[in-house]
Amino acid sequence: MVVHKRIEVHHVTRVEGHGNIVVEMADGQLKDCRFEVVEAPRFFEAMLRGRSYLEASHITSRICGICSTGHAITSLQATEKALAVQLSQQTILLRKLALYGEILDSHILHVYMLVAPDFLGVGSVIPLVSTHREVVLRALRMKKLAGDICAAITGRHTHPIAMTVGGFTHFPKICELEQLYGRLESARSDTDATVELFASLSWPQFERETEYVSLTHPDEYAFVGGDIVTSDGVYLPVEDYLRVTNEYIVPYSTAKYTRDKRDSYMVGALARFNNNYDQLTPRAKDAAVALGLAPKVTNPYSNSAAQVVEIVHSMDESIRTIDKLLERGISLEEPAQISIDQAEGVGACEVPRGLLIHHYWIGPDGCLTGANCVIPTNQNIANIEADMHELVPHISHKPLDSIQLDLEMLVRAYDPCISCSVHVLKVTDAHEDR
Amino acid sequence: MDSNFAASANNLILGFGNPLQGDDGLGIQAVKMLSERDLPPYTRAVEVGAPGWGLATWLEGCSFVIMIDAVRMGKPPGVWQRFDSEEVRLIAAKNNLSLHEASIPEGLILAQALNILPEKIVFYGLEPASITTGQELSPAVQATLPDLVEEIFREIWNRNK
Repeated sequence: MVVHKRIEVHHVTRVEGHGNIVVEMADGQLKDCRFEVVEAPRFFEAMLRGRSYLEASHITSRICGICSTGHAITSLQATEKALAVQLSQQTILLRKLALYGEILDSHILHVYMLVAPDFLGVGSVIPLVSTHREVVLRALRMKKLAGDICAAITGRHTHPIAMTVGGFTHFPKICELEQLYGRLESARSDTDATVELFASLSWPQFERETEYVSLTHPDEYAFVGGDIVTSDGVYLPVEDYLRVTNEYIVPYSTAKYTRDKRDSYMVGALARFNNNYDQLTPRAKDAAVALGLAPKVTNPYSNSAAQVVEIVHSMDESIRTIDKLLERGISLEEPAQISIDQAEGVGACEVPRGLLIHHYWIGPDGCLTGANCVIPTNQNIANIEADMHELVPHISHKPLDSIQLDLEMLVRAYDPCISCSVHVLKVTDAHEDR
Repeated sequence: MDSNFAASANNLILGFGNPLQGDDGLGIQAVKMLSERDLPPYTRAVEVGAPGWGLATWLEGCSFVIMIDAVRMGKPPGVWQRFDSEEVRLIAAKNNLSLHEASIPEGLILAQALNILPEKIVFYGLEPASITTGQELSPAVQATLPDLVEEIFREIWNRNK
């Protein structure tokens, strides 16, 4: 008698956007295994065509509320590279600080609100209010601080308003930076408690090595800019990203997929951790020890643990960056001079979920003639499926709801932002039109 | 500008939604229009997008909050409805209203559980015509949004009398 098991999870909870898990087994053999992204397609790339280079970052920052600063900075980089715009040291420091704020905001939300409930045996953060009230209050307190960092630098809690091509139009006050500095120093006990909590949890044991792809930079753990590096030995300038991403489409999903040396690769905190571990702050490395992480980590569930390490790192680096800004003072400088010309440029940042690329083509009138955006979650979908393929036979003996939980936790570990990832063009391939 | 985050605002007007998704961005547009008006002291109009659980951090410490969002209520496009504090608490308790991406119920439920839900919290839902990709509001929403904004402007000033 053939024993069939089928698991279908419609709209996996505690991920941003809509994705389905479909797994079918017969007699322990995997027949079907998919992570379907079913978000209504968005056409951000098409939306940018014909718009002025000055508008691009404001439009793309609205792709997603969680990743808006990352999209804005990457967008600005693409335009600035295209138009050969020189940035001041102050601009670079302010953008780094804004991105640290977003990394913190996103990671804190993810580990506390989306991941922790699974480990603590509840369906959402709500039951934790009764059983772990201080933990929930801590998460909100930390999240608020992170959001306030972004707001102070970018001018708004959600979509940035103070950043423009070549610099900033509004600047934080010294007293605001000083206050943030004080709050960040006080928040060290909260990050210590975060490490302690997540180090005490029983992490699922599952190993599957893949190619880990991220930015890298000689001077620091790369977030704002760098070159592309992979754990399979690839090292490229970001302008050559297509040699790594190789985007393709599958019929059951509205998101594009990517692959490089293997059938899939991984981006995100774990990839950054594996590739750039040496550049973590000492406290972040201590956190890694507490969490049992040392490169190369090949357990995808550990992506969330790597995010905890990055929370510590980003707190440290936020403090260090504010220190530098306070030492220099804030100059109310005009954005850099820009000469408009027909050009092409690629921007790349490490945003909370991984490597983000914006590639723009600008016409002689300064309006975009085309755009290609490679989103972190796109790059992870094939790897999620490959993990599922590998994992399911090992857990097929378990009760159905247990298998389902393991798979949902796997998807959540990647912290997918499905809303960002769905932007495939409906009609023709955009590249052909250029 | 949110840069003055340190200042306490007892009254908040929160606009939800994504302005790249047609009428889904009407809450954002409403807040933009309100920001250009003279609001009462200690009152801020803020674009919050889709904050999910993070909504609770906005609500903490406020005495009066107005939320504005596109809501599918089965009404003709452009029609809006006001939900008072009791009805909002019901949303938090039962999650019985279909709001976009379930961001508002999550945040309200968490705020309720933590006992930080503002004393007075009002929700204005406006029926969208279309939430497909696009930066323009539909004609139906464009026609009625100014009236909604006016109504909210009156409410926020009457609260402070």
